Amino acid sequence: MFPQLSAGGGNPNKDVEVVSPPDDTVAALEFSPASVPQTFLVAGSWDSKVRCWEVEASGKTVPKAEQSMDGPVLDVAWHDDGTKVFMASTDKTVKCWDLASNQTMQVAAHDASVKTCHWVKAPNYTCLMTASWDKTLKFWDTRSAAAIMSLALSERCYCAAVDYPMAAVGSADRGVALYSLEGKPAEVKRVESPLKYQHRCVAIFRDKKTKQPTGFALGSVEGRVAIQYVSPTNPKDNFTFKCHRSQGSGGYQDIFAVNDVAFHPAHGTLATVGSDGSFSFWDKDARTKLKSSELLDQPLTKCAFNHSGQIFAYAVGYDWSKGHENYNSAKKNYIFLRPCFEDLKPRST
Amino acid sequence: MGRKKKKASKPWCWYCNREFDDEKILIQHQKAKHFKCHICHKKLYTGPGLSIHCMQVHKEAIDKVPNSLPNRSNIEIEIYGMEGIPPEDVKEHEKQKTGGGKGSDSEDDEPAAKKKATPALLGPGPSTVSPGILPTPMGPVPPSMYPGHMQMNPMMQHFMQAPRMMMPGMRPLFPAASVPTSTPSKPTFPAYSNATISAPPTTSSAAASEPKENGEVKPPAAHSCPLVTATGAGSKIIHPPEDVSLEEIRARNSKYRPKPKPDAPAPSVAPTMITPSTSQAEAVMYAQVAAHMSAAVAAARQQQAAAQAQAAAMRRAPMMPGVVLPQMRVGVPVSVPPVMGMLPVMPQFNLVRPLQPGMLLPGGVMPMGMFPGGMGGMGGMMMQPRYR
Repeated sequence: MFPQLSAGGGNPNKDVEVVSPPDDTVAALEFSPASVPQTFLVAGSWDSKVRCWEVEASGKTVPKAEQSMDGPVLDVAWHDDGTKVFMASTDKTVKCWDLASNQTMQVAAHDASVKTCHWVKAPNYTCLMTASWDKTLKFWDTRSAAAIMSLALSERCYCAAVDYPMAAVGSADRGVALYSLEGKPAEVKRVESPLKYQHRCVAIFRDKKTKQPTGFALGSVEGRVAIQYVSPTNPKDNFTFKCHRSQGSGGYQDIFAVNDVAFHPAHGTLATVGSDGSFSFWDKDARTKLKSSELLDQPLTKCAFNHSGQIFAYAVGYDWSKGHENYNSAKKNYIFLRPCFEDLKPRST
Repeated sequence: MGRKKKKASKPWCWYCNREFDDEKILIQHQKAKHFKCHICHKKLYTGPGLSIHCMQVHKEAIDKVPNSLPNRSNIEIEIYGMEGIPPEDVKEHEKQKTGGGKGSDSEDDEPAAKKKATPALLGPGPSTVSPGILPTPMGPVPPSMYPGHMQMNPMMQHFMQAPRMMMPGMRPLFPAASVPTSTPSKPTFPAYSNATISAPPTTSSAAASEPKENGEVKPPAAHSCPLVTATGAGSKIIHPPEDVSLEEIRARNSKYRPKPKPDAPAPSVAPTMITPSTSQAEAVMYAQVAAHMSAAVAAARQQQAAAQAQAAAMRRAPMMPGVVLPQMRVGVPVSVPPVMGMLPVMPQFNLVRPLQPGMLLPGGVMPMGMFPGGMGGMGGMMMQPRYR
């Protein structure tokens, strides 16, 4: 009776379940960088914890360690050497977790919850970029209490992405600010949003040939993703597409938030996950959907690809899209892993 | 070649070889059978039109014309009624009509499949035709949608067509049933499309479908009253009405309040960036939020009340059976009640918050001794050069 529940409704895509999942919704999910031989997965969650698993080639997951913050964890980021993880929390701080020693140390602070953190690895410097609901974007040397640089955002940060030398920050006023990280971080331009609803997630994509960051995908709460080039050769290169919507039997359409968007590291195709409880794979160049998943019975809150693009991880848990009264703390949270390299191959035509 | 022949043959459909008495009816047939989007049932005008529509609106590739004969499934060819039919096919058709098999002797370049298919126009040949029903690898046309259409006898065809011809008139009858094509939201289309549709080469298809879900109740451009609610009559965004991120809304819950930090602020270098007036700033922020919430929520309820009363009746079962309490789902913005409930709570926020920023006061960010190199001026010195 009960096993049936978890087998059927909980995992309709028959993916590999990560063992010992977080006790509350996952808010951040990242795979270790290519610099470490093994594959580690780190998840930050609303129970204020950050957990780390090793993912073996077989798909078997082994819980490795966990750390606590003083508030829910909204973002995590790996150091490029793969030895440390940064954890951003509503407790207004970011801590650095040294995995080898299992010690944490505060490395950044804001006046409000820190929504995102990203490790910036430039040829001539490294730093931690943090963005917060205090409407600032800050850059930190992890050895000092003071930020090296603080830039004003037009509004609270809702999402951010870094792919050196580019950074993109989406804010509560539906703004998108683009930054160049070359030499030192500087705002390049603010883009008029192609979307009419609240920004929720952003990811940077690279040019197919030059392999340089050339644009970004921006997801909104209105089941829509915009593909936007920083300097489009043709205005028609920019477009938006609808996703994570469901047709009700009464003809009523439910539109769900796009909770996360991520680009495949090898193929340049992308994945979206939504409040509707599904993930989809897309080819932005062919402007087609490559695959859509079965519906899960809870929203998908985050997704991530490992560095080689073999594994797609997605987190399942309540995302508050139906308000607090629909929160059922007894409902289990999951992280699933799925081999994805083939599914995300671009359409060949 | 002998493209004259122009005998008074009846209009026929290139895709399925069916004959019609009138080209008008042929066009209606083509729109209903061959140019209809299997997802939103919008009827396009040509094969390429359908292909572009599906690509742009639904992100699906259509590589074959639905319900077409196997050798006539090319979606690239632009055919409208009798226009655009490749001349050799016209010729072939006429030969079939007049001399029976004679023509095919001279035209041997035709693929075998074609010959097999041609009989279909004379008398429905069930066996030959069925392949045409499974058109694309993407499977956009579930066979069940067109149950045995090809096998129908001519009488049934006409029977089927009658309602199709009325389609334009039918739409308003079921505005909610076909969200994508619902008329109510059309009025907002012009405003919307100007702003957002960035790449619609075929505006006919993209434009017609775009506005439906996006038709906002209020002027789309004016986002003076930040709300996530407003959508067209046929759709609804599953998000609390307040235009604030889910994380912010969730973080207000007492369960998620950050724990007060035991380690009190260690006085040390006060980074200029971090202002001690945290609590003030935050209070302002939340006050703002509260302000537009009250306005917004009121507006939202008005806007939605009507739509919802109507919608509630049609509402389908909750999406998340395990989580959703039955009555929750009836009111569309699940969060209207909660938000209202939260309003009185807001002041609390401002009261509670000031207790916490204590830890952020001068330099409190980093407890002393955490930095191997020591803090103080050194930290500042260490970093500055990095960007120089």
